[in-house]
Amino acid sequence: MAQLGFRTANRRYNFLFWPLMIVYVAFIMGTTMLVDEETAPLWLKVACAVGVTVPLIGVLYAMRRLTDETDEYTRMNHMKAMRDGGLIIAGAAFLIGFLQIFEAIGDFPVFWLGPAYFIAYGLSHLVRCNFGRTV
Amino acid sequence: MKNTLRILRTEKGWSQADLADRLNVSRQSVNAIETGKYDPSLPLAFAIARLFGRSIEEIFDDGTDLAEAAE
Repeated sequence: MAQLGFRTANRRYNFLFWPLMIVYVAFIMGTTMLVDEETAPLWLKVACAVGVTVPLIGVLYAMRRLTDETDEYTRMNHMKAMRDGGLIIAGAAFLIGFLQIFEAIGDFPVFWLGPAYFIAYGLSHLVRCNFGRTV
Repeated sequence: MKNTLRILRTEKGWSQADLADRLNVSRQSVNAIETGKYDPSLPLAFAIARLFGRSIEEIFDDGTDLAEAAE
């Protein structure tokens, strides 16, 4: 995908991100309020899970497209932050996995690795932009 | 890498945001280049040089002494 420049890339990212987030929130609220987990049929539970996940996958695509289209410095910062976020979460997954294998902890909802990744990515980006040297 | 980007920019009366808009990059990119935190790629270095009507070597200095390098 061609580099479009900082402003255009940001505009295109926001044009995709915010509608997807609105859909995501609407799905979350709708499924929480309208679907009874105890009585709902399996197909409806799966449909709700997929419906909530699709906009998030769209956000991941928007992030990928942003790194293709934005300027080189912004791309480098985002890629390094994504890398650092991924490494932190991979390390956390290994730790949690081994803690479970050794039966040091009980069940851990895998779901939370997703938000944890975005927190790690955001913090890495913040630290790099404010305190890092990028040469 | 040392550069004279800030001097050239202020001679034109441009802010970092103005220069960023002309180069189609973020203001943070301009700041990072001016402070030496980031070295631009060749295409961006050429774009900067063309914008100011200078050669790349007149704007960026990697500290290499050409005479020593030739030896």
